Amino acid sequence: MSIPLSWYLVLAAALFSIGLYGVLVRKNAIAILLGVELMLNAVNINLVAFWRYLDPAQMAGQAFAIIVFAVAAAEVAVGLALIIAVYRRRKTVVADEIDLMKW
Amino acid sequence: MEFINQHLLTLILFFPVLAAVIVLLLPKDRPQVIRWTAFGLSLVPFLLSVYLWFQFQPGQPGFQFEEKYVWYAALNSSLHLGVDGISLTMVLLTTLLTPVALLASFSVADRVKAYMFLFLLLETGMLGVFLALDLLIFFVFWEVGLVPMYFLINQWGSEKGERELWKGVKVQARNYASLKFMIYTMAGSLGLLLAIQLLGVLFQTYDLLTLTEKWTALEGTLLGLPVATVKTAAFWAFVVAFAIKVPVWPFHTWLPDAHTEAPTAGSMILAGVLLKLGAYGFLRLVLPLYPAESARYAGALAFLAVMAIVFGAFASYGQKDFKRLVAYSSVNHMGFVLLGIAAAAKASGTLDATIAMNGAVLQMFNHGLSAAGMFFLVGVIYERTHTRNLDDFGGLFPLVPVYGGILIFTSMASLGLPGLNGFVSEFLVVRGSWPVLTVYTAVAMLGLLFTGAYILKGIKQVLHGPLNEHWAHGEHKLTEINAREIVVMAPLMALILAIGLYPAWILDVINKAVTMLF
Amino acid sequence: MATEILIWLLPLPPLLAFFLIVLFTNKNKALSHSVAVGAAGLSWLGSMIVFVRALGVEEFGKHAFESVINWLPTGETWFQIGVRIDPLGAATLFFVAWTVLMIFIYSIGYHNFGQPAGDHDRKGLPPHGATVTDAHGHPNDPGAGKHTVPSVEPMYSRFFAFIGLFAFGMYTLVVSNNLLTLFVGWEIMGLCSYLLIGFWYGKPSARNAAIKAFMTTRIGDVFMLLGIAFLYSATGTLTFSEIFTEETLHHLATLSTPILGLSGAGLIGLLLFIGTVGKSAQWPLHVWLPDAMEGPTPVSAMIHAATMVSAGVYAVLRMFPLLSLDPATMSIVAFIGAFTALFAATIAVAQNDIKRVLAYSTISQLGYMIAALGIGAYVAAAFHLITHAFFKALLFLGSGSVIHGMEHGVLHTGNHHVDPQDMFNMGGLRKKMPITFWTFLIGGFALSGFPAITAGFWSKDEILADAFAHGHWAVFITLAVAAFLTAFYTMRQITLTFLGEPRTEEAKHAQETPWTMTAPLVVLAFFAVTYGWVGIPEHFPLLGGLIPNWFHEFVGSTLAEHPEAAPFSIWPLLTSLGVALGGLFFGWLAYRNVKSPAEDKLQLPVLKNKWYFDEAYDFLFVKPAYWMAEKFTYLFMDRQVIDGLLHAVARFSLFLGHVFRNYFDKPVVNELIGDGTANLVKSSGKGLRFIQTGRVQYYMLASMVLLVIFAVLYYFLLA
Repeated sequence: MSIPLSWYLVLAAALFSIGLYGVLVRKNAIAILLGVELMLNAVNINLVAFWRYLDPAQMAGQAFAIIVFAVAAAEVAVGLALIIAVYRRRKTVVADEIDLMKW
Repeated sequence: MEFINQHLLTLILFFPVLAAVIVLLLPKDRPQVIRWTAFGLSLVPFLLSVYLWFQFQPGQPGFQFEEKYVWYAALNSSLHLGVDGISLTMVLLTTLLTPVALLASFSVADRVKAYMFLFLLLETGMLGVFLALDLLIFFVFWEVGLVPMYFLINQWGSEKGERELWKGVKVQARNYASLKFMIYTMAGSLGLLLAIQLLGVLFQTYDLLTLTEKWTALEGTLLGLPVATVKTAAFWAFVVAFAIKVPVWPFHTWLPDAHTEAPTAGSMILAGVLLKLGAYGFLRLVLPLYPAESARYAGALAFLAVMAIVFGAFASYGQKDFKRLVAYSSVNHMGFVLLGIAAAAKASGTLDATIAMNGAVLQMFNHGLSAAGMFFLVGVIYERTHTRNLDDFGGLFPLVPVYGGILIFTSMASLGLPGLNGFVSEFLVVRGSWPVLTVYTAVAMLGLLFTGAYILKGIKQVLHGPLNEHWAHGEHKLTEINAREIVVMAPLMALILAIGLYPAWILDVINKAVTMLF
Repeated sequence: MATEILIWLLPLPPLLAFFLIVLFTNKNKALSHSVAVGAAGLSWLGSMIVFVRALGVEEFGKHAFESVINWLPTGETWFQIGVRIDPLGAATLFFVAWTVLMIFIYSIGYHNFGQPAGDHDRKGLPPHGATVTDAHGHPNDPGAGKHTVPSVEPMYSRFFAFIGLFAFGMYTLVVSNNLLTLFVGWEIMGLCSYLLIGFWYGKPSARNAAIKAFMTTRIGDVFMLLGIAFLYSATGTLTFSEIFTEETLHHLATLSTPILGLSGAGLIGLLLFIGTVGKSAQWPLHVWLPDAMEGPTPVSAMIHAATMVSAGVYAVLRMFPLLSLDPATMSIVAFIGAFTALFAATIAVAQNDIKRVLAYSTISQLGYMIAALGIGAYVAAAFHLITHAFFKALLFLGSGSVIHGMEHGVLHTGNHHVDPQDMFNMGGLRKKMPITFWTFLIGGFALSGFPAITAGFWSKDEILADAFAHGHWAVFITLAVAAFLTAFYTMRQITLTFLGEPRTEEAKHAQETPWTMTAPLVVLAFFAVTYGWVGIPEHFPLLGGLIPNWFHEFVGSTLAEHPEAAPFSIWPLLTSLGVALGGLFFGWLAYRNVKSPAEDKLQLPVLKNKWYFDEAYDFLFVKPAYWMAEKFTYLFMDRQVIDGLLHAVARFSLFLGHVFRNYFDKPVVNELIGDGTANLVKSSGKGLRFIQTGRVQYYMLASMVLLVIFAVLYYFLLA
């Protein structure tokens, strides 16, 4: 009846890879941010899955997942704010064009 | 009153610093106020030393008015002050000459405040050396005195003049002189510092009295060498440092340069007090710390002293520059101090030694008076004529009879005329060293003869002879010495005469101290 | 007043006068000379009182007046100074007081007190005369009523101050009971001598003479100082009465010294004697005295005839008990004295300057005394010292009077090229200046030893008698020849100056000098005659025994062993009669018709140039000394060698600094370590900068790749 743990892990790995791919190849900063979100959530799936399968008595897995939510929310808020600020100044959200630190 | 009695030496020592700070706070554009304040405040240490002189008990052994404060606990060095008959005389000389020199500097118009400030600091530096009973403190004050003097020569020295170092390289004379003075003294004191550190590390204290006792008693080996060898090395380190300051031939060439380039009051203090620091070092440190070495090398010291006496007189006689002539006379006169010290070192404990030492200490005081007076008189005429070249003067006596009289008087004191102070001390030195260092004393007489020659040369070229008409009329007309300048000379002349006629009042204090010390 | 206190006070009035004049009264001429003469008078009065009291003391030699105070602390004891008047001191005090007072008075007239200030007179130069207009008519003067009179000395007050200080020095010397204060007085006189020889300091010749005098005597003085130091360290005292005890003298006589095999006493005596050689202008230190004649004449009379130069002899007299211990020293003393006596007399014969003749005569006479001491004739030397002081002071003052009279003539004619001191410009002055002439004659005869009546005869005769009696033939003959020369040049001087007819217009108009100048001449002339009578030997034919030989008894008692008077012999008497009268006669014979220096056969160049001593000394000592001072000591040794060494050190330090900077600091520290590190970082940065794309995705990719690599490595290597 039950779905084995490995399925969740595969799902999480796939999600993480999609997110990573998005972060690495997309040029739009918002899309990169979205990729990061996907990666975070892949981690959340892992956390929750391990908790359910390995040690349901403990709350640590759930607690970690919630902390990740909070961090992700904060990250999005800050990230979007940065992107908006960059956009206001440079009229672009393309990551390649934000290259002031480049030599 | 109780407070003053308890802290008399500290007060004398640090009051000049307080005075310097007060002078610093005065408005810059009121030079007259600054001058009078500095002069007035400098009288305070003088009055305190006079009070000290009368409170002092000459017959009592050891140091008096001792004070001891923690200064550098980790090194076990303390601000230990005290006077005996020898240092008392020097303190009196210093505190007397400083106000006199300040009064003589009223004609300085350039940066008066800084000048007076440095001068008062200088006084503390010199007093510290005479009062210190702690080697480290001694050394600190020894170096402290250098800095103000350097700036006084460098900034307020005579503006004219160049000195050729070697082919094609010329420097401004006052820069040359001040640097020579500074570097020479510091180079000399390097060895002194090392030797002091050796003693300090060895005995974990810098207190002079303790050190004297322990160091002289030390035997065996030290640093892998016999103690005698180490002592000899340390002895010469001390000697070289002090010999440069005295200055002893052949370390003397900084002196004519520094004296010649320094402002008038600077020369007065330089000759009057700074040279005494070196001689005082011999008396206070070298002889007590190294009695055996001093006795062994007394001949060498006497040789250098005699060279100073003879060549100092010769070099002085060969001068065309009035101030340089007077400067070389210091080499000549301080040679007698060292001769006396050498004789005392050799014959330690005998009556001859006591007499020679009395003579040496009194000669220090006497030279302080007469040399300061001579430099001032040279300054007086330099201010009016802007030349020091003896060939430019001539026959000035009718124009400046009072000045001429004072110059002859002071010159005669310097020449050692009986009835004035120089004779008493020179006689005592000759008397003390004759039985001990007969040949050296006999040769030194050649110097005494030429003392006459250069003094008379100075008088001859300045006062006597056909009048140089250049100074007789018009804008160059030479003016007579003024009231302030006479006031400067008055105390010096009074003391010169007082010591010459009845030396016992001062010699008694010296004699008792010398008898107890050696 | 107790005599001792009085003796303490004797030197003080002149000193006080010096200070009063210098500080307060120097603007007022009358007040200044009153103060000075008053002070000299007070000291004179005191001296006379002391002298009279001394005469009244029984066995005065053993009960001298003495008083001491503590002066210098030396260790546990004190060096004491004090005053002492013993027979020698009393006798000296007598002549010092008289001559000093006379000379003070004389100076008032000599410096033209009361005359107007000069037209062009300047301080530092002798007065040149003033033009006045009055009724005193001079027919040959074109400006009717206008004529030139002597003008007052511009530095009148100063002169009196100086001679006051001088008198202080002399009195101090005489009343001293010890060598140190004697030396103090000695040197103060030296200073005054310097100041007074150079009184007219505007003249280069006077200025140089002053320095010459001071330096030459100082040569003697430094030796004397050594002698004093030696004596003090050998005996522990400088007080005469303590030195001249048998024990101390014995100690000194047996002390050996490494020099010339002399005993301690001999060496000390010799050192002290060299001081006298300088002060009393004995050969070879005689050169200063003739030049010292540049000073005003009262100075020549007082310092360079009566007192200061006598002080040298006085010092030897004082130290006689010490000196006489060593025969070698005594021989040196006798030789120098006798040689000087003859040598100076030969020069005096060829001098034309009236004062210079007297100067050489003084040297010669002092040599007489020294020679007398050298042969042990203590009393004779003291006697001659005193008589000489009187008659030589008289002669100098007389010559000053002559010069003054001649200057009057020079002012009258206005011909300033005529030297008023040259004897060949004089002649016939006996009529113009009678008082001066007669007193000068007395002085001159006393100097020549004119028999029986003059003081000089008795003292000189005693010296010759002593030399004869003790068999000192060389000394006897030398002194006899010198005595002949003395009489000869004295008569030459008198003949040229006073006898015959005036040789110049100026001499015709010479005038007798005022009473302030002539009165002292008369007083001194009195002593020049009578003082000899106090020392007539007892066994002298006819005159002996009429008056007891007081002088011998009195002064002789100063010594512990009373010296025997020389036994009478006819030979020395005949000799001294012969040389004195012969010299006088030949002097008159040779010069009675001489009109100009060209006719004078004795103007030999070698005598005229004083045996070339000045030139020789200049060549041997003065020039080398100056070369030594300037060229060698200052320019060569100090500037070249010592400063050169210092500069070499400085240069070496600079060089070292240069080496360090250019070969270590710059290449190693700066370039290799400093710049090198920076360059390394820079180039490695340059090399790595391509990875710094600025694209966040690259960085992430890179970190991913690295992560994978490290994971793989970890997996394979460590796990």
